[in-house]
Amino acid sequence: MPSRTLAVGRVSLEVRQGIELWLHGLIVLASIVVGLGVSVLLLVVSGIDVSNIFEEFIVFTFFDSAGLADVLLEWAPLILVGLSAAVAFRVQFWNIGIEGQFVWGAIGTTVVMIYDIGPGWIQIYLMFLGGIIGGMAWIAVPAFLRLRLQVNEIISTLLLNYIAALFVLNQLFGAWQDPAAVYYKTAQFADYQRLPLIGWGQIHVGLFIALAAALIVWLVTERSRFGAYMKFVGSNPGMALASGIPVTLTILVAVMLSGSLSGLGGYLVASGQEYALTIYVAIGYGFSGIVIAFLARNNPAAVVVVSFLMAGLYVGGESIQVFYGLPEALIGLIQSIIVICAVGSEFFVRYRVRWMR
Amino acid sequence: MVEFIVNWIAFTPVFAVPLMLASIGLIINERAGVMNLCAEGIMLVGAFAGVVVYIESGNILALGTLGAIAAGLVVSALFAFMVVTMRLNQVVAGIAIVFFASGLTGLIGNPWTERAVEGFTKVDMGVLSTIPVLGKIVFSQDLMVYASVPIVYFVWRFLHRSIPGMKLRAVGENPQAADAAGVSIEFMRFGAVVTGGALVGLAGGYLALAASKIWVEDMTHGRGWIAVALVIFARWRPGRAVLGALLFGGIEALIPRIQAVGLAVPQYLLLMMPYLVTLAVLTYVGLVSRTGSGAPGALGLPYVREDRR
Amino acid sequence: MAHALQMTDIVKSFDGRMALDRAEFCADWGEVHGLLGENGAGKTSLMNVLCGLYRPDAGRMSIDGVEHRIEGPSHARALGIGMVHQHFKLVQPFTIAENVMLANPQKSWRKGVATVSEGIARLSDELGFEIDPAARIDRISVAEQQRVEIVKVLMGGARLLILDEPTSVLTDEEAARLLRTIQALARRGACVILITHKLREVLAHADRVTVMRSGRTVATVAARGTSAADLARMMVGDAPVDDTEPGQSGPVRLEISDLTARRDDGVSTVRGLSLTVRSGQIYGLAGVGGNGQTELAEVLMGVRAPETGHIGLDGSDITALHPKRRRALGIRNVPADRSAYGLAQELSVGDNYASTRLGSGSFGTLAWVSRRTIGAQTSAALKDFEIQGAAVDTSVRLLSGGNAQKLVLARELHGEPAVIVAHSPTHGLDVRACAAVHDHLRAARDFGAAVLLISEDLDEVLNLSDVVGVINRGAIVGELGRPADRHRVGELMLGHA
Repeated sequence: MPSRTLAVGRVSLEVRQGIELWLHGLIVLASIVVGLGVSVLLLVVSGIDVSNIFEEFIVFTFFDSAGLADVLLEWAPLILVGLSAAVAFRVQFWNIGIEGQFVWGAIGTTVVMIYDIGPGWIQIYLMFLGGIIGGMAWIAVPAFLRLRLQVNEIISTLLLNYIAALFVLNQLFGAWQDPAAVYYKTAQFADYQRLPLIGWGQIHVGLFIALAAALIVWLVTERSRFGAYMKFVGSNPGMALASGIPVTLTILVAVMLSGSLSGLGGYLVASGQEYALTIYVAIGYGFSGIVIAFLARNNPAAVVVVSFLMAGLYVGGESIQVFYGLPEALIGLIQSIIVICAVGSEFFVRYRVRWMR
Repeated sequence: MVEFIVNWIAFTPVFAVPLMLASIGLIINERAGVMNLCAEGIMLVGAFAGVVVYIESGNILALGTLGAIAAGLVVSALFAFMVVTMRLNQVVAGIAIVFFASGLTGLIGNPWTERAVEGFTKVDMGVLSTIPVLGKIVFSQDLMVYASVPIVYFVWRFLHRSIPGMKLRAVGENPQAADAAGVSIEFMRFGAVVTGGALVGLAGGYLALAASKIWVEDMTHGRGWIAVALVIFARWRPGRAVLGALLFGGIEALIPRIQAVGLAVPQYLLLMMPYLVTLAVLTYVGLVSRTGSGAPGALGLPYVREDRR
Repeated sequence: MAHALQMTDIVKSFDGRMALDRAEFCADWGEVHGLLGENGAGKTSLMNVLCGLYRPDAGRMSIDGVEHRIEGPSHARALGIGMVHQHFKLVQPFTIAENVMLANPQKSWRKGVATVSEGIARLSDELGFEIDPAARIDRISVAEQQRVEIVKVLMGGARLLILDEPTSVLTDEEAARLLRTIQALARRGACVILITHKLREVLAHADRVTVMRSGRTVATVAARGTSAADLARMMVGDAPVDDTEPGQSGPVRLEISDLTARRDDGVSTVRGLSLTVRSGQIYGLAGVGGNGQTELAEVLMGVRAPETGHIGLDGSDITALHPKRRRALGIRNVPADRSAYGLAQELSVGDNYASTRLGSGSFGTLAWVSRRTIGAQTSAALKDFEIQGAAVDTSVRLLSGGNAQKLVLARELHGEPAVIVAHSPTHGLDVRACAAVHDHLRAARDFGAAVLLISEDLDEVLNLSDVVGVINRGAIVGELGRPADRHRVGELMLGHA
């Protein structure tokens, strides 16, 4: 009987018993470098100069006041979607519907403006609640379907993305449309319905909300009893149950937290960046969240760091897109290449590859 | 009213065939035990390649179709290399490939965007096509609609009435037993993913060349995911997948019909229907399948032989 | 005539543990040869060597007088060796014909189905049972599945047939039928090796018997003229029972009455089991594996719902309680399958140590977990339980089996447990770790806990228990006080009552 051999024939695989931390880190780092290299290559093939790539992605984003302000602005919602994915993935709930929850967060925010709920000064707080409620409501359906009927949450959350997007279109081309606007969106939020700017570029207090959320999620996952429950449920549900941990409840609460974080992202963009509900409010945030959580290995502190770099990719990518007339899909493409390479690193972490002669 | 219904039924196959081919492809795939979540991406690349090859070859439909199949082969080979050979996480790899496909086609697709193509045309069967009702429904479809019947039959026959097909199912149900019987798990799974992927690519190509007759960024609009759901609804059986595809094709075909008639239904709510029905179907499956989902026993589990020596 | 099979000086070790220690085996054509021994005696390992699953470290094998080095399962099959494993290698939703075809390659589907169906019909006719080639595996009984396995192996041309514990999943009647079939096969010239630990079967149906113990062959004797008592003595040996102090038993703590439970596949494995364990008592539940022990342990843990029956703790009914409530009442578990219910392999030693008491607020407040407290308490536990080479932050995956088990014990024995359900607590551990585990269980008993020790290791049960109960087919078939008579227990375990 041959030992475990690869289809290639000249290569044999051995399962590693354990791996040194430095080697593990090196493999992951190398894979990301490969991913970035492939991405750069792709841009060069698309006709972009290497020095321009360096300038757009490094110099004009991280070493330029206006660029850095843009990065910090973009950072806030990315932190939230990254946290949202990380929290769900920690309990093995594949929330692919972050975009839909994000949209519903924005809807929950906008509803306060459209129907002018409550006195003016309180509306910004009601919008905050509206965002959370919108995101939670949108994840409640797949959560229920999964926990009660074993319906695959990957598909259900994803389908709900499309439904959320179509609902927004329905409203923007109908009841909520701003007749004065040139493209389809709601009326502008009033000044008191906007998140206050902090006086550097367009950066608003949403950044502090996102950072506070990261701190809270970190405290919950790393320091609280509930976070410990999450760890056990995600790592070994059978053992968690036998240890007396309420498995179903833990999953439910974590998933709701995930939905509310996505919804909060929608609140930030609607109330802090767009000042309206638009078609584009959530574009790209769903996959970004997954990518960030994956690269951060579901660690909230790492999410903060990774999403900062991802914000740089966003800002650099956007200006490249504008200058070279490249499509919006560019960022998603680079992200997916990096993820494919990072997933690939698992192989080298798990197996030792031997060339045979 | 009769005309409305005849038109509706006549338009159903064009919308049903992409879902049918995609879910049949996924069934081959998942019957071998590989959870394929990148159908959306493979369809997209298939649609793109179909249109590009069609236009660049000077409107040769056969080449466009082959291009879609070849694109499906290439993307699914990448996926197969990741999950079968390297045994990586099938969920993460699948989702990453969807976005990879979306990004890649978006990046290089500009020159071919929004160029209307003639693509598949209705076959004129002379007298037959003029028979009232039946002529329009049965004898005025395009070639692929007719071709899909033998394709589905062949896949069913392969899976359920052939030795290699049986080995493939054994690999998906119980790789340990298949391995003990001398079946190569890696070969079977790789082959199943690539073959299924070719069909999913074809589904995308047909979608672009027959249903929408145009390439637009992200034009599959979740049909790949609906196909994934259809496979669950079909309990991994080709026959039921055909039924499900006809059901969803019927719903999709209804949307332009309703709009054509000028009924005052908000169009975006109408467009939600396929997704809502998919959710409803999944819920239904969850409610009734107390006796098991019919999923292959080893679906989604990478196989590593237990080496005791 | 040459021997059908001769195995000489077979040695096989796993990670330094000897599974086979110069084992010998010899069988002839035309006989049913029983291979008898306790769990872990090396019976299955020896046969796995024969059918190419294990490669021996040393030793020689000859088939029909010709020496062979068996390279793998397909080589063994080509030599006419066929094994029916204890866990069937059948594809569930497939038909019988498909399963037989999978193992015996055919050229085309239609002809293959015809050939195979014909072969199945012929063989089943010869062997005196009926199977429908078109029936699906998941719709037929376990006994029928086993017949499919036998037919599958015979269709592959096997003349040397090995059956691993074939009757453990069958009813008495089914078992009797199977054994008659086996005898018929042998009469037609095959060599059938019957791995079992049921004395009665061997005595009634085998021609010769080889007994194994601790990886060695004890003896090969003719079945006729050998008594059950002799065989039992050969199997279990004469290891002395150590004379530690018996426990001071108090009032009844754990009371199980008329418990029934099903396995995941729907087979009822616990069938009307009743027992009581007193405070300060170790109740040893002896029995051959697969007689309902696993399901009983899971029901007590609270992760498997019983069909009927009651579980009482200190007089109150806890049958329906969530594991969390059971723990609060002092029920602790040392599960047999550590990776399923005992430890989260990817998490740290500290996390695993704290897992069961997070809910009580023992580590910090109710809302927050104090890592420092976990660290301090875990370090103390590591010292108390002599878990060397592990730190609070070490991933549990990296612990040795002994250390992992001691970690489970450290966690489960913390505080004052009322009931401890310990299932195979020393399985796979070395001698020192075994002794440590036993000492801890005795100490817990002396503190007043009721200990239910479920074990397939007879020495362990006899050494530790104040009362020995014997489980067979999901029920208690006998209870003996200390010191329990070893041979009597062996006879009860093996169904020879």
